[in-house]
Amino acid sequence: MRVVIVGGGEIGFALSQTLAQQHEVFVVDHAPEVAARFESLDVQFVMGSATNPDVLALAGIAGADVLVACTGLDEVNIVACAMARRHGSPEAYCVLSREEFLGLADQQGLAAFGITRVIWPEAQLAADIERIVRTPGALDAETFAEGAIQLIEYRLEPGSTLAGRRIADLHLPHGCLVVAVRRGDAFFIPRGASELAVGDRVVVMGTPDALRDVAHRFTTASADGTRQRVTIIGGGDVGLRVAEALDESDAADVTVIERSPERGELLAGRLRRSLVLNGDGTDLELLQAEDIGRSDVLVSVIDNDERNLFASLLARQLGVRRIITRVGKRANLRLFERVGIDVAISARAAAVASVLHQIRGGATRLLALVEQGAGRILELEVPAGYSTRALRELAPPLNSIVGAIVRESQAIVPRGTDHIQAGDRLIVFTTYEAADRVRAYFTSVTA
Amino acid sequence: MHLAVVAHVTGTLVRLFAPALVAPAGVAWFYGERRDAAGFLVAFAVAALLGTQMRRSGGPASGDLERIRRVEGMAIVAATWMVIAHLGAIPYVWAGLGPIDALFESMSGFTTTGATAFTDFTAFGRGIFFWRALTQWVGGLGVVALVVAVLPRLAIGGRELFFAEAAGPTDEKLTPQLRQTAIALWRLYIALTVAEIAALMLAGMSLFDAVCHAFTTMAAGGFSPHPQSIAGYGSATIDWIVVAFMFAAGANFAVQYRAARGSRVALVQDEEFRAYAAVVLVATVVLFVFLLGDGLGPGEALRHGAFQVVSILTTTGFASADFQLWGDQAKVVLLLLMFIGGCAGSAAGGPKVVRHVLMARLTLRELRRTLHPRSVLPVKLGGRVVPEPILRDVQVFMLFYLLAFAVGTAVVVALGADLVTGITSSIACLGNIGPGFNTVGPMASFAELHPVSKVVLTLQMWIGRLEVMTVLVFFRLEPWRAARWR
Repeated sequence: MRVVIVGGGEIGFALSQTLAQQHEVFVVDHAPEVAARFESLDVQFVMGSATNPDVLALAGIAGADVLVACTGLDEVNIVACAMARRHGSPEAYCVLSREEFLGLADQQGLAAFGITRVIWPEAQLAADIERIVRTPGALDAETFAEGAIQLIEYRLEPGSTLAGRRIADLHLPHGCLVVAVRRGDAFFIPRGASELAVGDRVVVMGTPDALRDVAHRFTTASADGTRQRVTIIGGGDVGLRVAEALDESDAADVTVIERSPERGELLAGRLRRSLVLNGDGTDLELLQAEDIGRSDVLVSVIDNDERNLFASLLARQLGVRRIITRVGKRANLRLFERVGIDVAISARAAAVASVLHQIRGGATRLLALVEQGAGRILELEVPAGYSTRALRELAPPLNSIVGAIVRESQAIVPRGTDHIQAGDRLIVFTTYEAADRVRAYFTSVTA
Repeated sequence: MHLAVVAHVTGTLVRLFAPALVAPAGVAWFYGERRDAAGFLVAFAVAALLGTQMRRSGGPASGDLERIRRVEGMAIVAATWMVIAHLGAIPYVWAGLGPIDALFESMSGFTTTGATAFTDFTAFGRGIFFWRALTQWVGGLGVVALVVAVLPRLAIGGRELFFAEAAGPTDEKLTPQLRQTAIALWRLYIALTVAEIAALMLAGMSLFDAVCHAFTTMAAGGFSPHPQSIAGYGSATIDWIVVAFMFAAGANFAVQYRAARGSRVALVQDEEFRAYAAVVLVATVVLFVFLLGDGLGPGEALRHGAFQVVSILTTTGFASADFQLWGDQAKVVLLLLMFIGGCAGSAAGGPKVVRHVLMARLTLRELRRTLHPRSVLPVKLGGRVVPEPILRDVQVFMLFYLLAFAVGTAVVVALGADLVTGITSSIACLGNIGPGFNTVGPMASFAELHPVSKVVLTLQMWIGRLEVMTVLVFFRLEPWRAARWR
């Protein structure tokens, strides 16, 4: 497969790194210093602008299967996609970030420029953060199958009644499953005999009702609708989106701290109830004066990893219970969590995973990443002609678990006795290492 | 400031206004009041000649017309109002009123104030009463709005005119062109007037009285040919009809126009309208309670409470009862309403509801800033941020408004009136309301005040109608120093 990547930034580099092992990769960028960075990779680097047809021709666009436009400029990405489609590439993925192009995300907008898929890292990140904020005590939260299935990650705090007990002894209600546990650097899918320990990060999947019933066993954060106090540091694209979503639904008391006065005016104009403070999120005096330590959640989404980390650590010292921090460089993801950030989350990492899966995924769909990609949630469809059989008759690869069966309008959190039949959609939880095997297994089983 | 342009445009407007004096001449003639009819014709001749002369002295300045600047726009508006008020006083003088009282009466008409210097209503003919009503109707949406609608030549430079005249801070551009906007609003104004004439006649009023009252209701004016105002008819039906039309006259015409064009939510969405309706509701309830305490029956208390609240808030100034006889509890409700006024973009005077809404938000903002010194707190109206310069204008306006009120009060009291008379006559004229309390109560007359007080109050009507700043800017030397003929 030939892949042309336009833009050698964080996303472009991460994509090349992974794809170069199996595919023929061309990278187009106009900056010489970027070229140097790619020298270590087995890719063909073409210097120039992707909006120039000659440059694209050099990058072998005529024989390409996919073009991924991921420069920092939305306009360049759009033009590159349009050119690529005209010159032969059947697929063109476009990474966008500015809000005014949101209209492009619909079918008409896409068709006008020949874009086959839009990737919107900031919007996706904001939506992810909003979901986590809204779920009290959660470190991660996802919804699938139009909201019929939810996934929530909790950390077992000292004193948790669940610590030291086997999963089988938890007597969780039907409709809810512990699908994964993260303990230190280990990430595994537990069996009934696995024991939970304090500090474990536990991933639970199930129907919204069942999860609501068990929430109090996993976390002490109140789930009873008392308003949360949310502080957002950094009023950029992501910060504004999160604040707007919370503000619109009046879900929380929101405070946004933004350094630039002009940006602050814009934020205050767009938000109805939220309080916008003009100041620096790393200014301890300001954080203390505004009593930020009493926040239930702090979201730090400054466009700079160092300042984000500093602001988050200050908040931790002040006593904020849950801290969600954006990470720009993928290398920093693990580091952030190691020093005490509850949720380190990266827009680019999510975008990269999404593109990779799109290129390699076959019939399955990547629904979400858990624990920075250590866990993945895949969706696959059971084709017509598949003979019905019970779930326990399947022998899926190690480290994967069928989290839900979506059938017509209902979603079932299965037990071994539940059946799988043609037309079902399976939501499968798997670890990163097992993902390829799972794909292969279910493709063969369902074929 | 190019005085030639000001003279030319003012002359054009005055000449355009002159034919309005023919209508009362016809009415006077019809009722056999030959002497009054002659007075109107004399005034018509003077107005036509003066207008033509001013126009000629300043013209041909059509090239400059397209470049009317802000200061000239304000000068034109201020001068037009002043000149027309003087011309409109001629028939009163002809009919035997003293010159100061005549100018007071005329200014009270064109500024839609409704304060009267008449003491004996039987001394005047029907032509005069029709003229009083007509001056308010013409003043209603503004002589300038009328002329912008009628005279396309002014449409380009007219934007500045509209700016200086437009009642309050409003950005209601219904149609892209100012001229179409003016025409659209005029249509609504006329339609409402016709509707009220019909309603009042169905309720048993004579055609003449119905026309006069409809003219002065829609202008939020308040002149009545009856010496006891609406109270003289003693009819609950008429009271409620007038309440409804006063309420419409005090609401933003642009918003009403949109509501009439099918946008049902326009009224609900408009924050100023919601605040306006809320003020009416709350004040009516409070007044209702006080009137019950004064010994009125529930039906009467509701009717007179609602009528007086709407009448004073919209700055109309009709009375369905002699509220001079009410207790102080009830009076203080009306006094506070005098400082509010109707909606921006309506015929009403006063500081306008929207300015009070903005002032309230400014106050809350400062309170919140005390708690969060670093917070960014924009003031919003209808979900949109109000630019700081507009907020500053609003604050400055309120300051000057209260200053003008204080000066008026001081003069009237210094010249021998009692304190309540001084306070209420000053705010009633500045806010273009009409009646006050005590000596200037709803059934009384301003005639008994000191002549100098009457001149000052006349100026206050003028200042209040033109939104204070338009006039006060000419109290500075700067525009005069920069004034040239061409």
